[in-house]
Amino acid sequence: MRTDAVVTFVQAMLLAVLQGVSELFPISSLGHTVLVPALFHWNVDEGSDAFLAFVVALHLGTALALVAFYGREWLALGAGLLASLVRGRIGEDPNERVAWLLVAGTVPVAVLGVLLESSVKRLFAAPLPVALFLVANGGLMLLGERLRRRQHVNAGHPYRALDRLGMRDGVLVGLAQSLALLPGISRSGAAIVAGLLRDLRHEDAARYSFLLATPVIFAAAALEIPKLFAPDAHVVLVEALAGAVLAGVTAYASVAFLTRWFRHNDLRPFAWYCIVAGTLAFALLVTKDIA
Amino acid sequence: MKQLAVILAVAFLIIAVLYWTGHFYPTGVHTKHGIVAAALALLCLVWFRFQSASPTR
Repeated sequence: MRTDAVVTFVQAMLLAVLQGVSELFPISSLGHTVLVPALFHWNVDEGSDAFLAFVVALHLGTALALVAFYGREWLALGAGLLASLVRGRIGEDPNERVAWLLVAGTVPVAVLGVLLESSVKRLFAAPLPVALFLVANGGLMLLGERLRRRQHVNAGHPYRALDRLGMRDGVLVGLAQSLALLPGISRSGAAIVAGLLRDLRHEDAARYSFLLATPVIFAAAALEIPKLFAPDAHVVLVEALAGAVLAGVTAYASVAFLTRWFRHNDLRPFAWYCIVAGTLAFALLVTKDIA
Repeated sequence: MKQLAVILAVAFLIIAVLYWTGHFYPTGVHTKHGIVAAALALLCLVWFRFQSASPTR
């Protein structure tokens, strides 16, 4: 009989769905992973080898779903990258330009991620600050939408296609993504807002954000793969496998939904969700502490 | 600029090796830091390549 499990099967499946959805919806997966167990009083040992192995499996599932969704596009981007390397110049082919924009956007988050992630998590990965950052995430998206409207609707500023962004714009979007090191700030939300402010339409900003997510999630998961072979990892083997599949399926459905959503809609519903959920979580956590 | 790209590539490569061998921080080996430093070295070499290639007509 297993008495040392860190999560029950039901909790594991709920966390898998939460990961698959919240990794791509601009509502902060890390924030939800901290808040949900705290609010439902789940006795989850988030620092144990077994739980970390489970989380790595969920991230691998999510990354594979993104690769599956954008598979053809990644092949074209890879070909564009190679062609420009061989030629020694970035040409006018959109695939070449977008491939290098992805490199430009990934560098800041990779550098800041390895340098700051553990200290930021140590400082802020507790339910109360996460609830506040979730509210801030909502505020950031509302502000981004407001600035975009002022820029494009009121001032008539023209939109740009994704491949028309400059490398500096790509680095700026990458820097914005790095805000997601703060648990409660959404990676995709920050990247979409930055894309909007660099004159992208919602559809292109979301596509850039999801393409940027693939190497980031994959690299983060791949670097943690040894945790899957930690001494206690076998404790959650079934949960990890089932969780990875479920996280992958929900991530695939999420990215399919969001790419359609952003053709005609904006970030505001997600912003209000973050503000309401963060405020409620903060109130519940403070009340619980006082009680 | 070409020289700068090469100098930075060598510097990042040295930093990567120092991370991997545990000489950069007294707290031990930092594999992830080393990988990112090596990736930056690679990007500097790409930058060098882009600087060196003759412009196409």
